[in-house]
Amino acid sequence: MDFRGITILKTKHLNVVFQDEQILYDIDFSVEPGTILSILGPNGAGKSTLLKALSGDIDFVKDKVQLEGKYLNDYSSKELADLRSVMPQSIHLDFPFLVSEVIEMSLLNANTVKERDSYVEQALALFDVTDLHDRNYLTLSGGEQQRVQLARVISQITLNKDNSPRYLFLDECTASLDLSHQHQVFDVVLEVVKKHNVAAIMVLHDLNLASQYSDELVLMKKGKIINQGTVKEVLTEQKISEVYNYPISIIQHPSGWPMVVPAYT
Amino acid sequence: MRLFYSPTLALVALLGLLILLSLFSLTVGALSISVSDVVLSLAGQQEDFQTALVVNEIRLPRLLLGIIVGAGLAIAGAAMQGLFRNPLADPGLVGVSSGAALAAVTVIVLGGSFLSQWVIFWGYFALPLAAFAGGGLVTWIIYLVATKDGRTDVGLMLLTGIAINAIAGAMTGLLVYFATDAELRTLTFWTMGSIASASWQDIIISTGPILLAIVVLPYFARSLNAFLMGESVTSHMGFNVKRLKFATITLTALAVGAAVSVSGVIGFVGLVAPHLVRLMLGPDHRWLFPGSAIIGAVLVVGSDMLARTLLSPAELPIGIIMSAIGGPFFLWLLIQRRSRVGF
Repeated sequence: MDFRGITILKTKHLNVVFQDEQILYDIDFSVEPGTILSILGPNGAGKSTLLKALSGDIDFVKDKVQLEGKYLNDYSSKELADLRSVMPQSIHLDFPFLVSEVIEMSLLNANTVKERDSYVEQALALFDVTDLHDRNYLTLSGGEQQRVQLARVISQITLNKDNSPRYLFLDECTASLDLSHQHQVFDVVLEVVKKHNVAAIMVLHDLNLASQYSDELVLMKKGKIINQGTVKEVLTEQKISEVYNYPISIIQHPSGWPMVVPAYT
Repeated sequence: MRLFYSPTLALVALLGLLILLSLFSLTVGALSISVSDVVLSLAGQQEDFQTALVVNEIRLPRLLLGIIVGAGLAIAGAAMQGLFRNPLADPGLVGVSSGAALAAVTVIVLGGSFLSQWVIFWGYFALPLAAFAGGGLVTWIIYLVATKDGRTDVGLMLLTGIAINAIAGAMTGLLVYFATDAELRTLTFWTMGSIASASWQDIIISTGPILLAIVVLPYFARSLNAFLMGESVTSHMGFNVKRLKFATITLTALAVGAAVSVSGVIGFVGLVAPHLVRLMLGPDHRWLFPGSAIIGAVLVVGSDMLARTLLSPAELPIGIIMSAIGGPFFLWLLIQRRSRVGF
C-alpha cells in the first residue's frame, strides 16, 4: 500500500463485509489535521461504518487503516486513546454519576486530583455547562447529556496534551440538539480543530450544517465514495440530486457558503 | 443526593458498623453471653470452658463464614451489574448461582451412585469443586452463546441467563424425585441457603477465591466505570475491554461458586448491597467494590442473627430472611425505575 503522507489518517482499497454483505466498497480516504471533514450521504450509504472503520471499531479492518504512518492494529488501545476520541450516535448510561465524574472518566492522564479538577472545569467551560458540575447525570435533559459527553470526548484528546496531531470522530453528534446548541457544538469543534491541530471527521445528515462548518466533504452512496473534495466541489446540484435521488437546488447563503434547498417545481 | 461525600470516611464508618454487629452477634443465641465474656473467650482467657466452646467453636466460625459469604456475594453482584450495565443484575439472575447450586445438588443426590468415584476421589472438596465448576460452566455457556466476534451482547447474555435458570430449576426439581428424605433436607439447605453448619473447613475453602475477587476487582474499577457507557466507549477511552470482561466474569464465578458451595443459594445480597452503597457514595466502582463487600457482610451477619433468634430455639433458613428483605426491596427498585423512566 502506498502511503506518502505521515501525519495523516488514510485508507486505500478498504472493503468491509459483514456476514456476506458488503457494506463498503474499495474506499480510498485521507484527511489531515486542521481539517473538518463531513461524511454525507443517504441512509444506508455506509457513513457510520466508514467512521467505525477509521476510528478502529472494526477489528478485521484495523490493518487497512493507517494513522500517523502506523496501522491501527499496531497501536495499543491506550496509545490510540491518546490520539483519537470518538463520540458515538448515542450513549446510554443508567447509573447516577455526577457530571464531573463522567468527564473524569476520560481524563486518564491527569496526575493529581487538583490537575484533574481543573481539567473537568475546562472541559465543562467549553460548552458553558460549568453549573452542571455536581448534577446527577441521569437528571439532565437529552441535550445536556449530549453536551457533557461531547465535553468528555473533546477533553480526552485536548487536555494535558502537546500540539501533535489528534483525531476527533463525531457520529451524528448534534441530532438531539436544538438549533442554537447545534451551532454551539460546531463552534467548539471549529475552535478545537484550529487551536489543537485536530482533524474532525463527522457523519452529518444536515447538508447545510455540513456546508457551513466543513473544510472538506465526502459524499457516499451504497457503500462507495462518490466524491471527496471542498464544499464547493461536492455540493453541486447535479451530484446531490443524483446521490439523494431527489431534485435540489443550490442557493447562496449571505455569508457565502452554498445551501441546499428542494428544487422549485 | 448522596449521604456521604467522603468515601474513605464512609468506608471506615461501615467497617466500624460491621465490627460492632459482629461482636453483638457473638453474644446472641440460645445461650446469652456478655460482651466481656465474648472478648475473654476470643482472647483465650475465658475460664468457663462451655462459654469458650460456644463462642470460639460454634458462633465464631458461623460469624466468619457469614462475613465471607456476604462479602463474596455482594462484590460479585456489584461486578455483574457493571458487566451488564444494569443495576438490577444479580448472580442469581444470570444463572451463575443456580448453576453452582445444581452442580452441588447433583453431587449430593448422585454422590452415592453415579458420581461415587468423583466423591471418593475429591473427598471433602467434591462439593465445592462441583459448585465452582457449575458456576464456571454457566458463565462459559453464557459467554459462548452471547459473544460474537469478540463482542458480548448484553441483552442476549441476560436472556441466556433466564434460559439457564429455567434448565437448572427443572434439573434440580428432577433430582428431588431421586432424593431420599435425608438428602431432601440437605436440598432445602441448597435452595434456601444456610450458614448454620459453618465449619473451619468451610471458611478455609471459601476465603481464598472470595478474597481474590475482593483484592483484584478494584484494579478494574475505572475501566468498569467506563464500561457502564458501553463497550465501544470503553475501548475508545483506551481500556482493554476483552481483559476487563474476562477478569470480571472469572472473578464473579469464583466468588459465587465459593459462596454457594458453603452456604447454598442466598439470594438478593448481590442486589441489595451494591444498591445501598450507590445511595451512600454514588456508582463509582472504586468505592462500590469495598463498600459492597462490607455491607454484604453486614446483611448476611444481620440476617443470620435474625434467622437464629426469631423462632429460637428453632432456626429459619437465612435465605428466607434475605428474600423477605430483598423481595420488597427489588419491587421498590422496579417501581422507582418505572417512575423515573416515566412510563
